[in-house]
Amino acid sequence: MRLERLCSLASPSPSSLPDNQPNDYPIACADRPNSPLASSQVNSTMSERVDADALADRSSRTVAPPRLFRRRFLLPFLLVLPIVLYEGLLIVYPIIQGIYGSFTRIELASSAATIWVGWANYERMFSDPAFWKVIRTTLLFTALVIVVALTIGLLTALLFNRPFRFRPVARGMLMMPWAIPEVPVVMIFIWILSPQFGVVNILARMLPGVTKNPQWLQVPELAMGWMVLISSWKAFPFYSLVILAALQAIPHELYESARVDGANRLQLFWNITFPGIGSTLELLVVLAAIFSFKQFTIIFLMTGGGPSGTTETIVIRIFNTAFRFYDYSYATALGVAGFVVSLAVALVFILMQVRRTQESA
Amino acid sequence: MVAQVEDPRTVTSKYDARRLLNSTLLYLTVTVVSLIIVFPVYWMLISTFQPSKYILHYPPPLLPQELYFDQFAELFTEHPIARWLRNSFLIAAMTMLLCMALSVLGAFALSNLRWPGRNLFGLFLLVTQMLPEVLILIPLYIIYRRLNMLNSIPSLALIDAAFILPICIWILKGVFDNVPPEVLDASVVDGCTELGALWRIVLPLSAPGLAAVAVVAFFFAWNEYLYAGIMLSSGEFMPASVGLSTLKAIAQTPVEQYMAAGLVFSVLPVAFYLAMQRYIVSGLTAGAVKG
Repeated sequence: MRLERLCSLASPSPSSLPDNQPNDYPIACADRPNSPLASSQVNSTMSERVDADALADRSSRTVAPPRLFRRRFLLPFLLVLPIVLYEGLLIVYPIIQGIYGSFTRIELASSAATIWVGWANYERMFSDPAFWKVIRTTLLFTALVIVVALTIGLLTALLFNRPFRFRPVARGMLMMPWAIPEVPVVMIFIWILSPQFGVVNILARMLPGVTKNPQWLQVPELAMGWMVLISSWKAFPFYSLVILAALQAIPHELYESARVDGANRLQLFWNITFPGIGSTLELLVVLAAIFSFKQFTIIFLMTGGGPSGTTETIVIRIFNTAFRFYDYSYATALGVAGFVVSLAVALVFILMQVRRTQESA
Repeated sequence: MVAQVEDPRTVTSKYDARRLLNSTLLYLTVTVVSLIIVFPVYWMLISTFQPSKYILHYPPPLLPQELYFDQFAELFTEHPIARWLRNSFLIAAMTMLLCMALSVLGAFALSNLRWPGRNLFGLFLLVTQMLPEVLILIPLYIIYRRLNMLNSIPSLALIDAAFILPICIWILKGVFDNVPPEVLDASVVDGCTELGALWRIVLPLSAPGLAAVAVVAFFFAWNEYLYAGIMLSSGEFMPASVGLSTLKAIAQTPVEQYMAAGLVFSVLPVAFYLAMQRYIVSGLTAGAVKG
């Protein structure tokens, strides 16, 4: 019952109505005694409400006039209408435009009407070996970031879950990479990886067989490795924080009783910790897939997709196709492909969430 | 019970010795891991605060040799960084205001009201939040071009707000969920409308959540690079995220200035994100995981 039923007695606030509508509703808020209707109206409706609270059955009979009721029923829709319109105009409408555009030839320079080309863009895409290379790169990058970032996140969460002095300070430091914006992160790593003066070279030179500073971002494997490492470095604190929260939700008694029963550390981990954070980890895998699939700024600014396309994920490819080669229609077709993939992953996330809420309910 | 075993007097039995070893190992691991994680940040600070003659040397010294503070003044005189930061601030402030106004409405409808379509609305927000920004870039760019809305700070703020609004609503919903329903009922009994209850009860009780939304929206727009680079191609409106990416270390900009620019840009987001991390986590996971 609660708010819903009680609210059905309250009239909508005047502030929710457009200005041009006649303000003929009783002003119900008690702290507005100066408005013309307030004193009499408030008193009468107040007594009704108290009745309604005490005699819940009566409320259906003492409900406000239908017209007012309809207004109240409309309130949530009025509240979300601006949001739906706003997101609709700036997110949904461009997506529809993009889907439409992928079937046409878009010429921005000339004012000529767009030409319908049917499936041509898609045929080109599926028969383009470069497209499949981009897909492979995207899968590789996404999978590696999921594995690396979640592993570091899990290990640091387990480590920082143990009590030790200065833990708040250490946790604050742990969150640093997540809090720094992407552009400065790129700047830091461009400097650290500088072939001439980069500090990473000191470490590399310690390895056997390395006699000169590597060209970190010019060698395909190294470039991919650094993209994965930097993206993971930027992303893992978030996962660590979420896993930490899940770890702390595991009841302490479980560990204590298991220890009394003589379980060792590994057994504690596999039988209590891991099941306790399992569903969180599942969710994070999907979330990490979404986040790393979206990763643009770090790759774009550090390698631009190079060397020779080895770090070109689909988001980079879309950007390059549109804003380097000015092939907008092909880029929108690529965008639709990316849209389908991310929608599928988003659906997985939503299904998992629905399952979780059903379990907890 | 924080590592009292460090006191040598308590180390009497074998058991205690093992605990000492364990805690030493723990501290050692924590220290090493923290150092690795923080090293890039440390290197940024080192490279900012000492003259580049030390750092442009192989191998570079790992500890600062001399402190130096003129790089900030040089940075601001040699680059239009003040204008970049002002542009970033304007975009971020507009995005923040728009997001706060709209997310209060959405979160109230999502959290405190019961209506058909509520779940659908939540789902709609969730999906919009998960789409890669670049997918919408091209159609939006074409639309903006036709409407002559390129190179305008408010136009960019409109886009930034559209991208971050779903997360803001989810953050605020989580906060509104914590307002006890009894308090709302009481306010309605006392003669408040729903919107009156929102204004007088829910909002005052949710001040930290509102602050979190403000931080998230502001710094999303502050940090945003992709759309800013495409939509504001003219130098006059260039925000700091794009401006910084045009700096070239060593070749063009001395290292200490280059890193100082990154530092100036990062100080605010780092401070505010760290303060608000719990709320942001709950919003990014759409309330599935409370941070």
